[in-house]
Amino acid sequence: MKRRTFLMGTGATVTAALMGGRVALAQRKPDELVWADNLPGSLDPHALSDVPMQGYMINVYDTLYVNQDNPPKLVPWLATGHTVSDDGLTVTFKLHNGVKFHDGSPLTSADVVWTFQRLLDVKKGPASAFLAVLDPNGITAPDPTTVVFKLKQPYAPFPAATPLVAILNRRAIEPNVKDNDWGQGWLASNSAGSGSYILDPSTYQPVQQIDLKRNHDHFMGWSHNKSPIEIVRRRNILETTTRVNALIKGDVDCTDSYLPPDQVDRVLASKTATVSKDQSMRVMVLRMNNKKAPFDNLNFRRAVSHAFNYKGFIDGVLKGFAVRNAGPIPVNLWGSPKDLPSYDFNLDTAKEFLAKAKAEGAPVDREIEIHIQQHLAQTTQAAQILQQGLRKIGVNLRIVANLWPQMVSATAKADTTPDMWVHWVSSYFIDPENWIGQMYDSQFHGTWKASCWYKNEKVDALLREARRLDDQSKRQALYEEASRLVVADAVDIWIYNAIELRGLSNRLRGFRFTPIGSGADFRSMSLTS
Amino acid sequence: MTRFVLHRLLLTIPALFGLLVLTFIMLRVLPNDPSAALAGENATPAQIAAVRKAYGFDEPLWKQFVIYAGQVGSGDLGNSIISNRPVVRDIAERLPATIELTFVSLLFAACVGIPLGTMAAVWYNSLFDHVVRVVTVAGLAIASFWFAIILQMVFSMELDWLPLRGRFPVGLPPPMHLTGLYLIDSLLTLRFDLFGQAFGHILMPAFTMSLAGLASIARFTRAGVLETMQKEFVHYAEAAGYTRRRIIWVYMLRNSVVGATTQIGLLFGGLISSAVAVESIFDWPGVGSYAVSAILTSDYKAVLAVTLVVGLIYSIVNILVDVVHAWLDPRVAEKL
Repeated sequence: MKRRTFLMGTGATVTAALMGGRVALAQRKPDELVWADNLPGSLDPHALSDVPMQGYMINVYDTLYVNQDNPPKLVPWLATGHTVSDDGLTVTFKLHNGVKFHDGSPLTSADVVWTFQRLLDVKKGPASAFLAVLDPNGITAPDPTTVVFKLKQPYAPFPAATPLVAILNRRAIEPNVKDNDWGQGWLASNSAGSGSYILDPSTYQPVQQIDLKRNHDHFMGWSHNKSPIEIVRRRNILETTTRVNALIKGDVDCTDSYLPPDQVDRVLASKTATVSKDQSMRVMVLRMNNKKAPFDNLNFRRAVSHAFNYKGFIDGVLKGFAVRNAGPIPVNLWGSPKDLPSYDFNLDTAKEFLAKAKAEGAPVDREIEIHIQQHLAQTTQAAQILQQGLRKIGVNLRIVANLWPQMVSATAKADTTPDMWVHWVSSYFIDPENWIGQMYDSQFHGTWKASCWYKNEKVDALLREARRLDDQSKRQALYEEASRLVVADAVDIWIYNAIELRGLSNRLRGFRFTPIGSGADFRSMSLTS
Repeated sequence: MTRFVLHRLLLTIPALFGLLVLTFIMLRVLPNDPSAALAGENATPAQIAAVRKAYGFDEPLWKQFVIYAGQVGSGDLGNSIISNRPVVRDIAERLPATIELTFVSLLFAACVGIPLGTMAAVWYNSLFDHVVRVVTVAGLAIASFWFAIILQMVFSMELDWLPLRGRFPVGLPPPMHLTGLYLIDSLLTLRFDLFGQAFGHILMPAFTMSLAGLASIARFTRAGVLETMQKEFVHYAEAAGYTRRRIIWVYMLRNSVVGATTQIGLLFGGLISSAVAVESIFDWPGVGSYAVSAILTSDYKAVLAVTLVVGLIYSIVNILVDVVHAWLDPRVAEKL
């Protein structure tokens, strides 16, 4: 090859590359949204129950009830309403007529029954909210628009938990069942729903991308939105810096809703994007293993609670993008007492409690461990803040890097649960049961939510009574009393209720935040040119 | 030669088995049980135990390994614990992206590194040589993570010359699938517009990945050329009146790049492992970013499968390097 030919070829290639970069932006259509948030590990809505799954499920599937707005309201969706029998054991839902799945087949009560039976038999993800109270034979469909659930015991949070369960099209799934797997293999890469958006399975790459197109025939119609989004391209960008840069550059229309506070100013300074700041229901907790010494000593737990610099963490690390949450229930949810006393950062008080604990024989001199989630920087920062405080009162805290699945399996037994660990309790369903009920009722020992291994018979009784009653005002009083007791016992360290920070493109309209799904409901959204 | 290649291919079987054993042990001796996460956020210990039983995590470790090794032996790498899809399918969809990125990086490293090293040796101890030395040391020392972000900030965010992320523009159909390598497929289908898109997207990640390799190849080439310059055949060629250009680029170079060629084979493994970071930053849909997600979710079958596939590719590339080695140096071929 002659040198001139080589140089011309190289020049042409580089020019093509540079042109390519510019043409790329021009490919975007005005009614096409690029949503750069995390994707669930599987597309089967009965396999997982986590925040990314909620963001997928609320668009592709419908549920009996949904949560809307913030603070969230439980609104009938596929159901027109429900009734509960006097003994609290029978819950009856009436369904809308004329609802159709994406393949055009009708959605009837028989599909709801089959869906719940599948959920209870598969026993994964959202099933755990129902397994204790629901038997597969206890679900019946007396007519095409009525579903009756016979509960094993009264369970007031039942309607609030129904948004966890995506109603499936059994006619789409049954031909794909292999080895009695309820179609799990097939549904992991496909969809069988009736939701506002339809999955294009050919675009699916696990945890990387999916494309959705609008379901023009959705039973709720589209009259609320004059220019709905036709195509949603969901892309998962792993690296935060790239995600933020892509938003500022206009490559994507959003970031995830956990934008690091130090990136907020960058996004706001851009001319292309803004940041939506919404108080969520996501409580950050430093867990303490109440069965392990010295955490089995109340005064030691109180000393640790006073050694955390709450204000420093919220104002310094989080730049004020959080609300102090003194107890286990999010402060913006009923059941959280307005007058709940909070632990403050006070090293003198901490020293006093530590001295009392030592006098009572607690082994306060041993090194204690806190396990953090190594890919979530905020858990490390919280542990470091605590480490600083504890060092000043003479307690040695070691920070151990770990991952979520390992920690969850470690919490199955008291002796394998770490001294302390850091996590959030997100809103899987909106009821105090999701927080205080499952965190501090000793019947849940062995689950990660109850990994403090706290046992107080009075608290158990209050929470079980609250679970049984249907009257919300009575339940509220019980949850408030239980909250005061667990806070007085310094069971864990409750730090804040999250303000979710989601970078949004300036061309996006109609973003409606709800803690469930973190505002990723595309039904209300539109795009300006 | 054929006997040599077959012999080497046979040797990869025990090597891959060793890799499988090591990776399995490393992954499974940790308290690395995804059952609790799979069972749901408020699953009871009994429900978690049921999931553990369903996946066979309650069996002794050796039994789990025997079952898994049997599956692998029959060509089945199993299903992802999280997505419930065959991991072979997931990897097959992503592998072309990683291979394309790795080869372009390697090509870039060789095409720049070899001439750079040669010129540095020819102009030994000159200013150019010193600059090359500083650049190559820096190339080895710079963290690819940091360098990638700098490239993004300059060439995409500030100058707007190159795309920030991804392998292809969102919403634009990629070239017709022939090999899965977008650059090749777009050329084979004569879609030069798509070639431009693919090339623009691969430039920054490939350059980031190539940096350490480029530095390494340049240093090996420089050392090789310096050694060759002292050989008698070079003085003979000079005395015979061959042009300096011909002596350097034809005769000396062929005798100097044997070490660098071996280095390229070794680099391949390094490049694939650095793809984990680079793919995450550039949102490149390859096996590196897949491995990151699998590790974070303790999806051990996916992690094992990625390790095996990368090990297999690494072995094949090393066999190819030996073949090239023999082609460059006929004395090596005689020994094979």
